[in-house]
Amino acid sequence: METDETDHVLPFQLQFDKPVASQVKIAEWNPEKDLLAMVTEDSKILLHRFNWQRLWTISPGRNITSLCWRPDGKAIAVGLEDGTISLHDVENGKLLRSLKSHTVAVVCLNWEEEGQLIRDDSKTSSSYEDRTSRFFPPAPRVPRMPGVVSGDTSFMEDSEDSYGELSNSSYQRFNILCSGDKDGSICFSIFGIFPIGKININRFSVPTPFMDKQTPRQISNSSIYKVSLSKDLCRLIVMCSGELNENTESRESQMVGQGMHSLVLDTSIFSKRKSELHQLAQQASNIEDLTEVIRASLSVMCKQWSDAMRTFLEKFDSLSTLIIDHALDSSPQEEFLSLLGGARTSSAVHQFLVNSLGEVGVKRVLKVICGTAKELQRIVLDHLQPAAEIIGFRMGELRGLSRWRARYHGIGLDEMLINNATEKCGMILVQIERFMRVLSTVEQQFSNFFNWLLKCIKLLMQEPSDQLLPYNSELVVIFLKFLYDQDPVKQLLEVDHDIEVDLETMQRVKELVQFGGFSDCEYLQRTLAKEFQQMEDSFKEAFLMPFTTVSRKMLYEDLLALFPLPSSSASVSMAIPMSISSYEDASNAVSSHQTCQHSFVDYVCFQVPDEPFSDIANCIGIMRGFAHDLSSSKNGCTSLEAVLLYVPAGYECVDLSLYKDSQIVLLLNGASASSESSGDACMMIVQASELPFISISRSTNLNSWNLSQLKGSAVQLQMENEKVRNIPHSVIAPLAVSASRGVACVFAARKRALVYILEEDEEVPDTE
Amino acid sequence: MTNGAEGFDSVPSSSGSNGSGRYEIGLIYLGMMHLHFGHPKQALQVLTEAVRFSQQQSNESCLAYTLAAICNVLSEFGCSSSAGVLGTSFSPITSMDTSLSVGQQLFVLLRESLKRAESLKLKRLVASNHLALAKFDLLHAQRSLLSFGPKASMKLRTFPINVCKELRLCSNLISEFGYESSTMTTDGAFSTTWLNNLPKSMDSPLLPQENGHRNNCDAHRFFTQLSTVPKSVLQLLGSSYIMRSTAWEMYGSAPLARINSLVYTTCFADASSSSDAASVHAKLIQHLAVFRGYKEAFVALKVAEEKFLTVSKSVILLVKLQLLHERALHRGNLKLAQQVCDELGVLASSVSGVDKDLKTEASLRHARTLLAANQFSQAAAVAHSLFCMCYKFNMQVQNATVLLLLAEIHKKSGNAVLGLPYALASLSFCQSFNLDLLKASATLTLAELWLSLGSNHAKRALTLIHGALPMILGHGGLELQARAQITEAKCYLSDPSYSVFKDSEVVLDLLRQASDELQVLEYHELAAEAFYLMAHVFDKLGQLERREEAAASFKEHMMALENPQDEDDPLLNMF
Repeated sequence: METDETDHVLPFQLQFDKPVASQVKIAEWNPEKDLLAMVTEDSKILLHRFNWQRLWTISPGRNITSLCWRPDGKAIAVGLEDGTISLHDVENGKLLRSLKSHTVAVVCLNWEEEGQLIRDDSKTSSSYEDRTSRFFPPAPRVPRMPGVVSGDTSFMEDSEDSYGELSNSSYQRFNILCSGDKDGSICFSIFGIFPIGKININRFSVPTPFMDKQTPRQISNSSIYKVSLSKDLCRLIVMCSGELNENTESRESQMVGQGMHSLVLDTSIFSKRKSELHQLAQQASNIEDLTEVIRASLSVMCKQWSDAMRTFLEKFDSLSTLIIDHALDSSPQEEFLSLLGGARTSSAVHQFLVNSLGEVGVKRVLKVICGTAKELQRIVLDHLQPAAEIIGFRMGELRGLSRWRARYHGIGLDEMLINNATEKCGMILVQIERFMRVLSTVEQQFSNFFNWLLKCIKLLMQEPSDQLLPYNSELVVIFLKFLYDQDPVKQLLEVDHDIEVDLETMQRVKELVQFGGFSDCEYLQRTLAKEFQQMEDSFKEAFLMPFTTVSRKMLYEDLLALFPLPSSSASVSMAIPMSISSYEDASNAVSSHQTCQHSFVDYVCFQVPDEPFSDIANCIGIMRGFAHDLSSSKNGCTSLEAVLLYVPAGYECVDLSLYKDSQIVLLLNGASASSESSGDACMMIVQASELPFISISRSTNLNSWNLSQLKGSAVQLQMENEKVRNIPHSVIAPLAVSASRGVACVFAARKRALVYILEEDEEVPDTE
Repeated sequence: MTNGAEGFDSVPSSSGSNGSGRYEIGLIYLGMMHLHFGHPKQALQVLTEAVRFSQQQSNESCLAYTLAAICNVLSEFGCSSSAGVLGTSFSPITSMDTSLSVGQQLFVLLRESLKRAESLKLKRLVASNHLALAKFDLLHAQRSLLSFGPKASMKLRTFPINVCKELRLCSNLISEFGYESSTMTTDGAFSTTWLNNLPKSMDSPLLPQENGHRNNCDAHRFFTQLSTVPKSVLQLLGSSYIMRSTAWEMYGSAPLARINSLVYTTCFADASSSSDAASVHAKLIQHLAVFRGYKEAFVALKVAEEKFLTVSKSVILLVKLQLLHERALHRGNLKLAQQVCDELGVLASSVSGVDKDLKTEASLRHARTLLAANQFSQAAAVAHSLFCMCYKFNMQVQNATVLLLLAEIHKKSGNAVLGLPYALASLSFCQSFNLDLLKASATLTLAELWLSLGSNHAKRALTLIHGALPMILGHGGLELQARAQITEAKCYLSDPSYSVFKDSEVVLDLLRQASDELQVLEYHELAAEAFYLMAHVFDKLGQLERREEAAASFKEHMMALENPQDEDDPLLNMF
């Protein structure tokens, strides 16, 4: 590597050494900028600049189990203990999206963007634009819930701009977020927002091609440690712990016990159908956002309206009691009617209007009801209706895609289901129009009724009443008949109501079927809320199809049993330092002239835990070409190779990370860390490609651990030959290395963070 | 296409209720009458007088209405001489540069009218103006005012977002009409509703006592019948849905076009004027014809004819003629097509003034009939004169269609190279007017032209088709879909790198879909082509039985094309 002179120069320049408030358990550098995201033991997320200036801190309230950056560095994905994955804005840490894709703790995340090396052969299909932004103003957002003070809502309000930005993915390169959980499930989501697949590695059967009996095996009790998608999105490397068992019940023989396995899955659907998936994800995730807007609008409206009506009922309740008190045999409506008719004014009504309600009371109720009705109308006009319209448009676009069977059938876009969803969009638009009509009528009726009441009060109190607004007595009658003790608005906003539609309208709807109307004639009998529920269900059904189709297309390719784990640790998943990365294969670039796609080779390195390997304790395993080999095995350009590396005596590996150009950064702790001194540790870089790799056969023998084959050829790590920097602290995991920026952050056991510049001679990374 | 004039009919009565200003209102009505009968010059004259008089009387609201009416005249008939006709006393018009085009004049007037209506709080007029602006934005490209200088793009574009915004602003009327005091209904306005309900509610007392079920029933009548929203408001709101539907027909979103028509027919049928209702039904029938074939469309047409018997049948009649023409062309019955075409031409020059849109359509259809009869030079001549007319009257949207037709004519006459520039010109028109569906169809024509230039262009044609396919499949009718599928299949077949033996299903699937669609349409010529190609593929694959099947279907369609029989045509006998 470098010349020998570097030996006496300290290799990695220490940028600074700062105390940290609490111990850090996860740390990741931003792929684009000099930003370090850290998760503390008490589950706070901190974002620091390179100069250690803190940008923000948030605490999601739940235990954070994993973290990764979006490839463009503009968002952080965080995996939580309860299986939720939430996305946060890099600017302010605001929650952008939250997706509960797992049921147990999300232990690892990997967000991979399609590499540039994939040649864009289908330029036309990927250049298909999202027309929505051309035809519609920006999509409506979730309406503010009034009365709720700041807190959560303001949180939502502020994140609006970035929220919108997140779903507008048309300019983004295609990317996929993978997440693995403790129970062996792996979820995939496009752009981190649209779930597109879920698999459980426990369900894969591992064929045993070279054995006489053809019983496939299965991994059981597995827990994912690390997932990594290849740069071309074609393969997924999974590191997991688990037991490899016979599939059949007859022989309960365990081939090998609890241990660490490495799997390769074929995810080539992501790269083969990338532009189709991109389209689907873009439309569908936007539709889901807008559905959320409708849901929120409905709940806000329901709440506001029932609050307003409660005020009305509270005020007018006393009239019924007054009627009973006055021993009258009538209803409030009848009393009001006789007041309107001018026949008589019963003492009850008189007392109610003049004493208990009064002019102020009427005005207050009027303000509450009509103000709320106006508020509801605003919500419908600004949120509900536009959202439903855009959903209809986007569904129409998806319908076009679903009819392109040659392309989109493969990713499970089903024409029938999308058609059904489009019909539902139309129905909700009709429902919204009807709701709006009812709402305006109700508002008009109420204000007319209250105007009349005001006039009545003035008359009863013998005050001049010419300043008042006019009223329509016919409308008062209608109000008393239909609205005084009914609430059509509320009915429409509730799910379990049947709306009886008059014959004339039913006839019209039936007649419309001949004109290509909705074949479901009963839809007007549903309430708005019910219709929304059905629409949502139809969307779910339509989007589940691609999810299951794509999930089914992710196939098992290969498995490698690496090393055993103590069975005691099966339940408590222990932290094993490991790192997966892939590099351009310089040695192979010439030979693989046919395609540029195979010029990447993957490296997996991991620490081998001490206990079971009494003879090969304290060593690091490195393996390369695991995922690579399968595709190009015909050419035989690379095969699976591995090497064991003994950590020098007196040191133990704390963490490791693959760095650029197939280098490995190792973080080693001195064995004497328990002494009085603050301990001593070192960080070193090993050039992995120069290690004496040994080709190992894959899949031949699943009964033994593959790494034991390497025992004989393990090499001793020569510290004097490598770049080593001593650290005057006892260090702990994690080690955060940024390949793009050439920096490493090390955490000392005594709550200190040390940032080193790994690239000392060439371009020193400057803070941006 | 609807005009946003619904609101005008009943509106001036609001200012007339106080007794003053009857003369101005009379003038407005007269002006609109002139417009209705196709005398734009007289209409403008009368309206100018109304402007003068309203100004004299300082009747502000009447002035606002007059202004809106003038806008309506201008948008209906782009009178180039309007500025001369309008009096010099009216400031917004005199201040206008005479060099402005009619479109720009209209735009300025519309803005002015909107501003006045807003300041006078004439909510319905505001909504109606928003509607007119939406229509303007739909059809007129505007140079961006912000871009200036050599680097600014000189591209003319329409801005669909503005259309959407104006339509939404128009919809706001539903929450605002209450502020306009004059919309308060007068006593007794609901008596008819009451009377309608009388037989149903006879047996129950006016206020049923705690009788849950009955009560419920009454409450629900409320939903549909006792809406107290004034009819004029509902008509305006309904118009906004018709406008939406029209806009989506142009922009290319078939589901939204249909849904908006359905919203109108479901929610506004009781309040709408019968001519609006008829035009929406006409839209739905056309949608049916394009997407589900003629059989269903004619059934619906029959219903519509009965339904709108009392109305001036012109819209329904027009649809009927259009459908008959399309179908005759597809079936190869050119005599009938020509006959229908002539009838359309008569309809276009009726006593109620010359309808330019209709006239354009009639000659467009004439050219297409000639094209179907392989009379290329005549067809091209008709198309050329049509293009000149559209150009003269600034009808750019129609221009795109005519250009595409010219490209088709050249394509069919075997002169693909001549067709290319027309197709490209049509494409660029479509792009600047956001006519996405027409653009997809122009792209398809372009692909067909390239393909006919030889098999070495198959790749390029395929790329073009694939770019347009989502649009065509999602929003295009059966004919367009089938054409795209056949062309795609042809691209594969003529691509030397494609082998039938390796992947025959790709082509066969396309052809199968296309032939299904074409059989629904009874489009014999294209169906025959699809079966011909299918037979070819089967022949190569050695599946003789299926080849014979396809060949038989081919023959059937060719026979049907050559001797069209309309005697025993059940659909024709319906009328």
